Amino acid sequence: MADNRDDFIIALRYALLKKGAKQKFSLFFLISFSVLIIFLDKISLPITTFTRSVLNDIVYQISFVASTPGKVFNYLNDEKSEHFNIVNTNIILKEEIKALKSERYDALFLMTENTILKQALKLGSAKNLGDEASIRARVALDHNSPYSKSLSINKGKKDGIIKGMTVFSQSYLIGTIIEANYFTARVLLITDLNSKIPVVLQDTGVNAILAGAGKKTDLTLEYLPDDIELLPNKIIYTSGKDGFLSSGLPVAETYLNKKNEFKIKSLADPQQASIVHITRGQFNK
Amino acid sequence: MNILKLIKEFFLNHLAVLALYFISFSTFEGLNSIQEVAIFSFNLQMIIVYFYVLKFPSHLGNGHIFLAGIFNDVVIGIPLGVSSLSYLVLSFFTNYIRNATLRSRMSAEWITFIPALFFSNLIYFIIINNFTHLSFFYVELLQNTFFTFLFFPIFYYIFNYHQTRVLKDNA
Repeated sequence: MADNRDDFIIALRYALLKKGAKQKFSLFFLISFSVLIIFLDKISLPITTFTRSVLNDIVYQISFVASTPGKVFNYLNDEKSEHFNIVNTNIILKEEIKALKSERYDALFLMTENTILKQALKLGSAKNLGDEASIRARVALDHNSPYSKSLSINKGKKDGIIKGMTVFSQSYLIGTIIEANYFTARVLLITDLNSKIPVVLQDTGVNAILAGAGKKTDLTLEYLPDDIELLPNKIIYTSGKDGFLSSGLPVAETYLNKKNEFKIKSLADPQQASIVHITRGQFNK
Repeated sequence: MNILKLIKEFFLNHLAVLALYFISFSTFEGLNSIQEVAIFSFNLQMIIVYFYVLKFPSHLGNGHIFLAGIFNDVVIGIPLGVSSLSYLVLSFFTNYIRNATLRSRMSAEWITFIPALFFSNLIYFIIINNFTHLSFFYVELLQNTFFTFLFFPIFYYIFNYHQTRVLKDNA
């Protein structure tokens, strides 16, 4: 019995302290060093924050290059799917063009009417907050893992990006900046489990929290009053109650899935975003 | 010509280290990027660490495992040192298995991968839950761990075949 225990301890000690033929560090040293790094990162000293920021910038640049083969593979895969779907898409697009053409005439009429009314009321052109101070960035990395749904973009503090800014793709909100480095920044997507956005439901004025659940087609509404019944095809807007996001930004939409269940889907497809717009003008603060 | 040969030799001899760094940098998540087979995503870093520490420890240093973990943390966006610690715990457990085993068999090594993965992920969960405010998908992680275990034999034979050829060429 004692021999067995001795053997166990010897094997453990050997595994932990013994350096192999080509090993420069023992496992014990590296494990201790890892614990120290976790501790230093947790207490967030200015020096560790700076080091982390520099490390992030360097690693993101290398990571962008290293993820290129994967991106090429995804691109080819997408191209293949697109090729096979092109006929169906073409038919749908033709129908959409027809519908849009008719809508365009309505829009033109409304624009003309709007201009005439503004002239009558002596109002200047309305200021578009979305166009103000919009920073255009390219998506460098797409972190779609079980741990996080986030993007890295190729703009950072150097370009005026700060934590908390709002990120749009194709006019729809896709997330917020959670980490701004000097050259790069990280965007937490609305599909991430940690994303919580105060929202208001169309035609109801009911406030809730829109939370991610990992998928574009499966967002959840938290703190929704019990007596509220969701209706399909209703737009969900930001309420602006967090003090960061402006109110009235369309974020998601309710829909009925194939099993006739009410679900919420994001209006944008964050995983497909390649160019994003970051705005400063959308702050309430 | 000689330079090309040297580069080829370097790549072949350092495949484990290069693969580990490449995967850490490239946000490779097994088959996660392909929507249809995303459920089969697995953690190749863990397979590489386990296999090489168990079978060819001189080809994968602890320092490289530590650094790859740090890079992985930066890319994923979790606190620095978490993946490093997780990989090093896996390495420690694998070292223990290597020292305690007299005769190596693939089936036995496959089974011992379960506790190795368990302890490694346990450390990971403990740190994430106690040191951060991050939430993550437990089901996806469980699937990831399961398929990491399931796909181990495939990579075992691939890496084993590669190492046997490298050792034969170097002899």
